[in-house]
Formats: sequence, structure tokens, C-alpha cells
Amino acid sequence: MSTHGHPTPHAQGQAATEAHDSHASVATYVRVALILTAVTALEVGVIYIRLLTPIVVPLLLVMATAKFVLVVMFFMHLRYDPRPLAAVFVGPLIVATLLALVVIILVGTLPALQR
Amino acid sequence: MATHEAALLRHEHAAHAPAATGVWSWITTVDHKRIGILYGVSALAFFAIGGIEALIIRLQLARPNATVVSAETFNALFTMHGTTMVFLAIMPFSSAFFNYMIPLMIGARDVAFPRLNALSYWIFLLGGLFLNASFLVGAPPNGGWFGYTSLTLRQYSPGLNIDFWLLGVQVLGVSSVMAGVNFIATILNMRAPGLTLMRMPVFVWMSLVVQFLIVLAFPPITIGLVFLMFDRFFGTHFYDVAAGGNVLLWQHLFWIFGHPEVYILVLPAFGIVSEVLPTFARKPLFGSPVVIYSGILIGFFGFGVWAHHMFAAGMGPVADAAFSIGTMLIAIPTGVKIFNWLATLWGGSIRPTVAFHYAAGLVALFTVGGLSGIMHASPPVDLQQTDTYFVVAHFHYVLIGGSLFGLLAGAYYWWPKITGRFLDERLGRVQFWLLVVGFNLTFFPQHYLGAIGMPRRIYTYGPGRGWEFWNLMSTVGAMGIGLSVLIFLVNAARSLRHGAVAPADPWDGRTLEWRTSSPPPVHNFDAIPPVYGRDTFWREKYGDSRGRKPTPLPPRPDPHGIHMPAPSFWPLVTALGIVITAAGALTHLAVVVLGAVVVLVGGWAFALEHHRNPAHVDQVGNLGVDHRKLAMWVFLGSECFFFGTMIATYLAYKGHDKVGPHPHEILNIPLTTISTFDLLMSSLLMVLALHAVQRGDRRQARLWLFGTAFFGLIFLGFQAWEFTAFVHEGLTLQQNLFGSTFFVLTGFHGGHVALGVALLVTLGILDLRGQLAVQDAPKVEVVGLYWHFVDVVWIVIFTVVYLIP
Repeated sequence: MSTHGHPTPHAQGQAATEAHDSHASVATYVRVALILTAVTALEVGVIYIRLLTPIVVPLLLVMATAKFVLVVMFFMHLRYDPRPLAAVFVGPLIVATLLALVVIILVGTLPALQR
Repeated sequence: MATHEAALLRHEHAAHAPAATGVWSWITTVDHKRIGILYGVSALAFFAIGGIEALIIRLQLARPNATVVSAETFNALFTMHGTTMVFLAIMPFSSAFFNYMIPLMIGARDVAFPRLNALSYWIFLLGGLFLNASFLVGAPPNGGWFGYTSLTLRQYSPGLNIDFWLLGVQVLGVSSVMAGVNFIATILNMRAPGLTLMRMPVFVWMSLVVQFLIVLAFPPITIGLVFLMFDRFFGTHFYDVAAGGNVLLWQHLFWIFGHPEVYILVLPAFGIVSEVLPTFARKPLFGSPVVIYSGILIGFFGFGVWAHHMFAAGMGPVADAAFSIGTMLIAIPTGVKIFNWLATLWGGSIRPTVAFHYAAGLVALFTVGGLSGIMHASPPVDLQQTDTYFVVAHFHYVLIGGSLFGLLAGAYYWWPKITGRFLDERLGRVQFWLLVVGFNLTFFPQHYLGAIGMPRRIYTYGPGRGWEFWNLMSTVGAMGIGLSVLIFLVNAARSLRHGAVAPADPWDGRTLEWRTSSPPPVHNFDAIPPVYGRDTFWREKYGDSRGRKPTPLPPRPDPHGIHMPAPSFWPLVTALGIVITAAGALTHLAVVVLGAVVVLVGGWAFALEHHRNPAHVDQVGNLGVDHRKLAMWVFLGSECFFFGTMIATYLAYKGHDKVGPHPHEILNIPLTTISTFDLLMSSLLMVLALHAVQRGDRRQARLWLFGTAFFGLIFLGFQAWEFTAFVHEGLTLQQNLFGSTFFVLTGFHGGHVALGVALLVTLGILDLRGQLAVQDAPKVEVVGLYWHFVDVVWIVIFTVVYLIP
């Protein structure tokens, strides 16, 4: 329902354009897509380089995080949107990640160590 | 089209008309007040069922070697009593107040998504009926409300009993998460002018915290239930120790939900008490910001203490110590609230109404439950008390002394607002004292019974253990509770017919709901009231602490009239489809298909019902964003917990397989790299589609929307090919732990992609029909957010499943 009345089509168009202007340009989107492609190629590449074996897990996690952040910030516009939107997503994301780590330790790692 | 829009507007202008009457008007209602009443009545009915189950339990335990019911029936009774009271009585009682009161208290005309609100209610009601239908087919759930594995696996619980439970709780979870998202959007985005977050009533604040707890705590239990369902229905190995699984996984997933659930049940009561005590002490709530921060802290800490329910499981000293400290910490904000309530009463001009009695009763009785809770924070003490009647006593002091007393305070406090009539205060006092005596007689002796060794969940006991007398007293007390509830029902029925008529502000209230008539009109307020500070209505009447009244702001009538949402029967149809699908899982695949078709048809009609309704175009609220966009972000936060739980399970079980094939033998990284690239590029097409819709470029919009959907289909094609290849190579759901975790994780992700494709195709079809204009950009953006989220989840899956060795 609306509690704010009905904007005219012109106002709607203007509002949409303003909203759009506050987001990234098409060129930015294409650049982000190219970076995502390059990082994906890097991810696949590093698993075949024996020299990187000791650090391959943190390296992969960093690259995945970078891709995640790029999509969320640019394609999902969180970089341009009001902070409360970021809060309702990033807060749960952090808590979910911490809980996941604890569950992995308590269910996966600890029982294995205790065996 | 213009005629159709005019007709819709005419309908929505009917706000000033008298409320519609008749059964159909209730079935199709989307009015938050009516939905609140429906929640309240349904919760009362389920509360009566749960109460009767409790009384039979107590009759069975009144004497040694009693034979009122068999052991099997007893198991079903305590399982359904717990499940009913938690999911079907206390939670929906709180929902009744959320629904009725939150829009009134924040000065809104309704919730952000009125039809979604109706859908939540119908799913709850039908889910509750589905659970209780198990009695009719002779297969009531009987594995405890906690459903511990291995007991609940097929080989130990072969009947339909546990299936009813796991499907019913999943259905109820869908309802709760929908309602949670709706209320978060409502509270954050639909507040009256001047109602900043820190000016919100504490009840609204506690409700907000609870909604976050609901949307974040339900996904882990949902995933736990999905794993259990797959183990029972499809022979996977999530909880199969012989195949490398771990039954403790269930306990973790259950209590990651189960402990926040305690706060989901009790924080609304804390909010109610924080409204009732200041009203009847004629003083502002002492340290209200601290009470608010304490509620937030309780909610936050609530996610970090779950494993204190598992001290007896043998997690080791480090985990025990960490969860013990966390549990002790959570007592601090809880204690702060107690002291703030006491300080509110100190020096107040107290009017001891029945509502006040219940609020004060909560302060006293919840404290007893809180103190015994702190005892459980100590692992050595907990080991002595766990699975004894001491624990039963503890949580009933929390859930009756806390939740129920608070909800009854709310019932007596807001009854005049809801019905326009008073409840009888004399009868109310009789009910209160009978409940206090009956409750304490029932549960206080159970501390002692537990301490001398009486275990929980035993259906009978032999004589000579010293348990007889206090068990008998406990049963007598339970009858007192039953009588007290009966008196409340009589009081309510009498009030509806003969109760004294209540004015708009019968208690000299402090918050906005008392500013409108009792009961309120359909549109709540003729003009949205301005807010001058905390306790705004009190300020309007009496001024601030120095007696200075605010300068009245001019009323702000809605420039285009008041638009109320039109009734709809699609929420009921969609809810029916969900429950038919659940019933199909117990009967025949054809019924599942039928249910799915009903959900699709209902969901489709639901989504497009108001597509061209101009009253739905502008939904920008306090945060400066569209309600739908805010709701989608909240939902995605919930999805982080959903996928986080599945990914954590995959990683926890990685390398635990007893037999092959193992991941490195079978995963096709080059092929998956191509499908990953495809999905990433689909995200680019999606932003281009949104860009085109915002510009009004229909040709480009159509191209990119269908392009995104096409890329999504390609991804699904890759997945289908991969699944087929794996099955041919010997990896199935049942083959090993890797097969179980891999197929469920990637399968659920694929399901999300399929839903995204369906949404994109729907938008594309709307565009082909010329119905996707610039003003529909928020809809495209919301679908886009979902699509991109599916993309980022795959980024994580690709790394942790395919790339990490």
C-alpha cells in the first residue's frame, strides 16, 4: 500500500533516473565483470601451481572474498545505497560466518582431534 | 487499463467505509488488526490443546505406576506439548500483538506487505493444523520437541510421526521468516514523522530484535530439518555415524535456533512489561535507552551461547568454558532490565490493575527462572541438572513466569483497545492469583524433584523414591493453572458481550495506539500523527518533565486520500498449496505435484495481483529506500544463515567419508569454471537489464532480462550434466557423506537459480505485454538483488567445494 500518494509518471521517471545516476555506469559494470573473470581465471590457475601449494587455501579465500565484495558493492549497489541496507546484510553475514566457523570446529575438527 | 486502475483506486479509497463483515471478509482480510485477532484466537485454541496435553501428562505423573496413558502416548504428549506451546501458542500470541500493535504504535496504516502478512498467518494456521492432524491418523510426533538424532532417524522412528513433525516445523518456519522480514521492513521504514529509532516504544524495539532473531535463527534449524528429511526420505548420511556423519551436528543446528528461540519467546513479553509498568506507575520507563540496548545485547549474545544446552554431550573443556562464559555474560543485560523495571516502579503513583499485576508478576517469576538459568551456565552444575526435572522447572519459570505472564499483561492492557470493552478486573485478579499459586505449586517443587534425581520424560516411576508427594502437588497446581485459563476465557467471553465500554485512552497511556479510537478504524488514524519524543502521546497530554507541551504540528492529511490494501484470497490459496505439498511428502508424489502447482498458481497470482495498481508504486519509507528492496536485503541476510549452515556442514564433513568416490577423484574443475563464468556474466546482464528499465528502454530491458534468464538456464544445464555424470561414476546422494553434502548444497543452490530464472522470465513476459515501465524498476532491482546473491553464493561454493584441495 502507499501512504505517500501517487507520483506522476514524470516524477517516477525522474526518481528512477536519479536512483540510476547514483549507481555505477555501464562502463563500471563491464570493468567489474572483467575483473571477476580475471580473478576466476587466477583462482583456477593457482591450484595448478605447485609452488603455491602451502598458501593456496588462504589465497583462494582472499580471491573469493574479493569477488564476493565486488558483486555486492557494485552489481548489488551496496556501495551506493543507504547504510542501513548494508547493516541488515553485512551484520548477519558476519554472524553467519562466525557461527559457520564454530560449527566446522565443533563438528569437524574437534571430534577428529579427539579421536 | 485506466479503468482498471481507477477501479482499484476506488476500492482502496473505501478506507472510511465501515469494516466488511462475514466469514469471507475474514478469509480475505489483509488488515493487520484482523490478522492480529486471527493470530490471537488461533494461538488461544492451540494453547488450549497444549494445555490439555500438559494436564494429561500431570495426571499420569500424579501417582507412582499410574496407567492413565501408555508410554508411547506419553512420548507423543510431551513432544506435542512442547512443540505446540513453542510454535503454535506463545510465538503466535506474540505475533498477535506484533500485528495489532506495531503499526498503531509507529503511526502506520498497516504493515509494509499486508498480503504477505496474511500469507504468514494462513501458513501458520494450516501448518499447526497439519501438525495436529497427526493425532487423527494415529501418528503424532513422539521424539521430543528437540527431535534429537539418532532417535529420529528412520531405523529408530520408522512411522510417520517424525515426518509430521519435521515437515510441520519447516512449514511453520516459512511463516515465521516471512512475518519477520515483513515486520523489520515495517518498523524500519514506516514510522510516523518524528519517530526516530530511539523514540520508538520499547515494545516495538523488542519486537524488532525478535524479528531479526527469527529471520536469522530459523534457517539453521530449517537446514537441520532438511538434512533429517533427506536422511529419512532419501537415505543420505548427514546423521549416520557409520558413514562418517555426526549426530552432534543436529544438536548444534537445533540449539543455534533453540537458544535464540528462548529470546524470541520472552523478549516480546519484556517489551510489553516495559509499556505496562510506566503506564501504571505514571512514570517514564527508567533508563529506557539502556533497556533497549540490553534487549539488543540479549539478542546478539543469544547467538553465542547455544552449546550450553550440550554440556552433557562432551564437547571438551575449551568449548565448555567458552559457552559457559557467554551464558554468564548474557545474564548481565537481562539483570539490567529487571533493575530498570524496579526503578520505574520506585516512587511511582501505582495503579494496581490486572495488567500491572501480570507485569509485576513477570518481574518476580522470571527472575526465579533467570537465576536457575545462571546455574546451568556452570558445566559441572549443569551435568547434575541436565535431563532432570530441575530443567523442566527452570524453563517453565522462563516461559510461563516470563513469556505467559507478559503476554497476559498485554492481553489485559490492550484488550480495551482491540475490542472497545474492558475485561472484568475482579475476575482478572482471581485469575491472576489462581495462576500465581497454581504455577508455583506446579513448578517450584520440580526444582526439588530434579535435585533428588527425577529424570525428565519418564512416563512413570516406582514408589519409595520420595517423588510421590511433590508430583501430586505439581499435578494439583497444574489443575489450578487450567482453572485460571478457564476463568480468562470466561472473562473474555463476558467482556465481548457485556464488558464496560472503553474510551480511546482508558489507562491514560503514553504511546500512539491510545491516540486513536477503541477499536481503531480500518485506516488506524485519520491523519498520521506527528511524534514529539519518547512517550509522545503523554507529552501531548501533559508536556515533558517540566510540563512544557509541544507546539502542535499541523495535521498532514494524505494528499491523495487514504489508500488501504484490497482484500485477497491468494494468500490462503498459496498457503494451502504449501501444506498440500507437505501432506504429499507423507502420502504420494502426485499430491506433492498438486501442492506445487497450487503454490505456483497462487504465488503467480499473488505476485501479479497488484502489478498495475498505482497505490503500490511508491513504497519509499523512512530509510529512503523502497520497502521491497529493504525486505529483500533482510531476506538475503537470512539466506546467509541458510547457505552458511549448508557450507559449514560440507566443510565439517569434508574428508570424513568411509568410501569413495572422493571429491578430487570426480570434480570436473574446467567444466565448472565455464559454468561459473556463465553465472558471473549473467550478473552483468542483470545490471544492464535494470539500467535499461530505469531508462525506459524496453527493447534493451527485454534483451538483457531474457539474456540473464538464458545464462541461468545454461548454468542449470551444466549442473544437470554434472549431476548425471556423477551418478554414472557412482556418486549418488546415498553413496557417501560427500555425495550427501555435495548434492544437497549444490542442489539447493540450483533450486535458487531456477527460482531466479522463473522470476526473470516473469519480468520478461510483463515486458512483452508492455507492463514493465520505469516505475517498475524497483521490482527489477529486487529480482536483481536475489539473482546477484545467488551468484555470490556460487562464488563461495566454487571455491570451497571445487577449488580448495
